[in-house]
Amino acid sequence: MPLLRFGSMVALVVLVSCSSGCGKSGEAKTRVAFVSNNAHEFWTYAERGCEKGAKEFNVEVLFRRPPQGSAVEQQRIVEDLLLKGTKALAVSPNDAKNQVEFFNKVADQIPLITQDSDLPAGSKRRCYLGTDNYGAGKAAGGLIKEAMPDGGQVLVLVGSLDAQNAQERRQGVLDELAGTKNATGPKLGDKYELIDTFTDNTDQAICKTKVDAFLVKHQGDPNKLAIVGLWAYNPPAALEAVKNAKLEGKVKLVGFDENQQTLDGIADGFIHGTVVQQPFEFGYQAVRLLAALAKGDNTVLPADGVLPIPHMVIKRDNVAAFKEKLKQLLAPPAA
Amino acid sequence: MKKLIGLLLFAIGLYLAVFVKVPEGNDNRTKNNVNMARRMSQLGIVSLGAGTLIIAGGIDLSIGSFMGLCATVLAVGMQRQGWSPPQAIAVVLGMGVVVGLIHGLLVTKLRLPAFIVTLCGLFIYRGLARWWAGDANAGIGPGMFKRAFSEATPLGLPVEFVYLVIAAIVFYLLLQRSIYGRYLYAIGSNELAAKYSGIRVDRYKIFAYVLCSLTAAFYSMMHLAEVASVSPSNVGSMLELYAIAGAVIGGCSLRGGEGNVLGIILGASILTLLQAVVSFWDVPQSLEYAAIGGALLVGAIMDEVLRRRGPATAHG
Repeated sequence: MPLLRFGSMVALVVLVSCSSGCGKSGEAKTRVAFVSNNAHEFWTYAERGCEKGAKEFNVEVLFRRPPQGSAVEQQRIVEDLLLKGTKALAVSPNDAKNQVEFFNKVADQIPLITQDSDLPAGSKRRCYLGTDNYGAGKAAGGLIKEAMPDGGQVLVLVGSLDAQNAQERRQGVLDELAGTKNATGPKLGDKYELIDTFTDNTDQAICKTKVDAFLVKHQGDPNKLAIVGLWAYNPPAALEAVKNAKLEGKVKLVGFDENQQTLDGIADGFIHGTVVQQPFEFGYQAVRLLAALAKGDNTVLPADGVLPIPHMVIKRDNVAAFKEKLKQLLAPPAA
Repeated sequence: MKKLIGLLLFAIGLYLAVFVKVPEGNDNRTKNNVNMARRMSQLGIVSLGAGTLIIAGGIDLSIGSFMGLCATVLAVGMQRQGWSPPQAIAVVLGMGVVVGLIHGLLVTKLRLPAFIVTLCGLFIYRGLARWWAGDANAGIGPGMFKRAFSEATPLGLPVEFVYLVIAAIVFYLLLQRSIYGRYLYAIGSNELAAKYSGIRVDRYKIFAYVLCSLTAAFYSMMHLAEVASVSPSNVGSMLELYAIAGAVIGGCSLRGGEGNVLGIILGASILTLLQAVVSFWDVPQSLEYAAIGGALLVGAIMDEVLRRRGPATAHG
């Protein structure tokens, strides 16, 4: 009688829990869902924003993250959410280009918005909300100007250049330094020069190794060198390499995102500043739109279909307050 | 037999657990059945390959990476190199045979441990997939390939389920109705004894590795057809663990020589259903793996405890 009893026990438990739980589905709240593209900490901030939105707009929010960040997990999660009676959905597509067909089918059934990462033009999503990466890049360019007002050389670090946000951020940095549109370098205006752009296949160790090697070979004045890391792990990698070469405080570092080491580096004065997104706002604003869309109210949609979530610039003067805010957001929500 | 009934009841219990959580109306329940049948069939097919290898006393840890490589080759071939679907399918099935042969030859002729050979494979195929795709995602549009491996519904059934039925019949005939199957069980139970009784052990072991890699290659077609998108760095990761778990839950012993087709399919169904339970019962996502692992562990413990108590009372 091995698994036999176990099996029947499970069946029993199910029946019991059903008889107690199935009845009270009467006055259920409208269900909306928020699907991330992986299980990174970034999304925990978004979840807090969703929780705030759920209370404020009186909806139930199902928050889902594909544990391995793969498109198949994401699509299966979405399929299940549809069957659970989700009335509107916000998603950050794992592979926007190849998932258009799938998400268009979803958009035929319920209102769909994209967040963080958009589907290609022509898709059936109602709206996109997220960071204006070009603007965020310009802000990072501004930080470089601040740290190195008399000009100098700039090195760009990023995981890979085929990602849309990488291209946009980089272009923003270059344009801000050059003072023109579509700057390509190496000359950026009169004062700045783009030395190189290093990619590392999203590998922090490779990124650091490349910067290590670069600093050994680099002949110029370290005080006239700025390194900007476009993805979250790039600034910490650059900081480690710069410390390795005993050039901390000399080489100017600028970053993106709120990696703990990046924030510590800012507090220590080794990183000039970082440009952060506001995932909490992603969650909150998404739920605001979803709650309305689920009730058939389309007036909340921005006219051009894009709701930019502003970035924030974190420097030494506001880093302590920002760290404290993150800590509060990461703490489990009060029941 | 009792084990199979136990598994079946477990699966039914889990199915009911999902069923009660699917809101009525809008064909939701039918749609959910189709979704689950699709996922269960995919995992079932690859578990049959993994299970056959386990029955023969082998193991393959590279299933996930290899299936990822196959999916990448399919997508890149059809999207960027203009292969026709039949061409792409032929290439991938050929890869299945070649890789299975390599695994089998290394294990039997060079006497390398299967664990090491396929663990190396796990790394190698993942690296090759990323290199082949240039670390960029690849995908396919709608068309014949998607219909053939995912969208078609012959007799109203998801096509993957039809493939599972065919695979189940083939594996049943092979494992449980043919002399070759008997050899595989004999090799798995006691390789030396099998050898001395005149079975060409190496040949059949290699055959088992080829079957396993072939099912992984076949899985890659259904996977790509369903998702339309492949991200070479993570596609298929952990699939080997699901496939092995499916086979083991279904009664395959990792020591070899034990297991059957129906059990393996039930094992794969239970894994799929557990994932659905987690999804439909709103188990916190961070706990998803823990919930699945915990449920399986409880099942294994109950199985073992009851098995031990059973004979004692019978003899007492």
